[in-house]
Amino acid sequence: MNKSDQKLAIIISFICIVFILIFHFNKNEQEKVALVYYKNELVKTIPLLEESQEYQVLGKNGIVTLESKQGKIRVKQENSPLHICSRQGFIQNSTEIIVCLPNQIVIKIKEKDNIDTIVR
Amino acid sequence: MQKKINKFIWLLIPILLLMIGILVGLTKQHSNIFEQNFFYMDTYIYVKLDEQDENKAKKALEKIDSIYQDYHILADRYQEYEGIHNIYTIHNNQETDDTLPLDPRLYDMIQYGKDWYIKSNGKIDISMGNVLDVWKRFRTNQSGIPTLEELQVSNTSSIDDIILLDNYKIQNNHVNIDLGAIAKGYATEMVGQYLESIGIKNYLINAGGNVKIGIPREKEKFSVGIEDPNSKTGDVFKVVYGKNISIVTSGGYERYYEFEGKKYHHIIDPDTLMPSSHLKSVTVIAEDSRLGDVLSTTLFLLPLDQGQMLVNQLGVEAIWYTADNLIVTSKGFDAYEQK
Repeated sequence: MNKSDQKLAIIISFICIVFILIFHFNKNEQEKVALVYYKNELVKTIPLLEESQEYQVLGKNGIVTLESKQGKIRVKQENSPLHICSRQGFIQNSTEIIVCLPNQIVIKIKEKDNIDTIVR
Repeated sequence: MQKKINKFIWLLIPILLLMIGILVGLTKQHSNIFEQNFFYMDTYIYVKLDEQDENKAKKALEKIDSIYQDYHILADRYQEYEGIHNIYTIHNNQETDDTLPLDPRLYDMIQYGKDWYIKSNGKIDISMGNVLDVWKRFRTNQSGIPTLEELQVSNTSSIDDIILLDNYKIQNNHVNIDLGAIAKGYATEMVGQYLESIGIKNYLINAGGNVKIGIPREKEKFSVGIEDPNSKTGDVFKVVYGKNISIVTSGGYERYYEFEGKKYHHIIDPDTLMPSSHLKSVTVIAEDSRLGDVLSTTLFLLPLDQGQMLVNQLGVEAIWYTADNLIVTSKGFDAYEQK
């Protein structure tokens, strides 16, 4: 067994360790994000940061404009009869949810949390 | 000799690590989560399944979609569908027959509602569709409130006008029925029963105030937060823990409109024809989601002491959040506060 064999062995070992670590810690810690669904599809994942940012997604009645800032998110503009979801304002906790029924858009916040669901 | 051992070790280490890696990968049961959103019965419905067999889970979600859709169609008050009688056509039809054939599922729901007229001391009255329509008109316009006279004039039917006959038929009395306190819990219970019948135990359903849970995979119980009706940021005032159970909330703080500084919500008391005002919310914990749904509405309309009596009789648990911000729990409620 010469030097290059040893090197190869070390490299293989190293790769194996990396894989084991990946398998073990695949529940990677996540930052706080807003998940935007249209019907059944996750259409956008928005990191909730300090600075103001606007996003647009397509709802059933056309474009829905979202705004995120200071770790919060709201629906800024949408087309619906009662504008319930744009009137709701900002949400910031994982216990909160924005539902735009006419547009079939749902916005949830995901952060590390130990409650499985909220009844309201 | 020394060299041989050396060679052996150098070979062994990567092989061993590789085997450990494969083992770790195999034994770690991947939690296979399948989630789906549905929009039926004017409600956002969320279903989560934790199931190893991907095909089985996907098939189940398709079936769940069709169960909710069927109940949505049957309980729809505003639209007719081809080839089937639903709540809309029971009210509006040009049939000359004096009876209408019903889908057994609709027949059973109406029967369930009628039974609860008696059990709830008249607080669950599914014959009040006309009164609810008046309130809905004002709520949609977001202005004014109906006069008591207007409400009384609209209240033309009574529960006795809803006559169910043998062979899944109903007397064609054109009653404006409303299954708002029944259909969601009913459909959710049917979805839960379906999942159990095909052996999916790890599930969570949240259908607009109706939560139904099976068993979580990696822990003893699911945790369900009950929203604080006073909170503007969706805070939770109580967390309950359980499995194979339904948790249903009725409250006036989600759907309402304001007029002259007063809030008017959507749960109407059959005795006053006005929104009920002595509670902010009430949550029922019961095995059966049908019972949870209809009972939470009943409790929302009943005075606290009468509600407590009913809860004791039925052997379920409840938590009341009163108009003066008192939190009252039933006798055995604390069993659900343990993790």
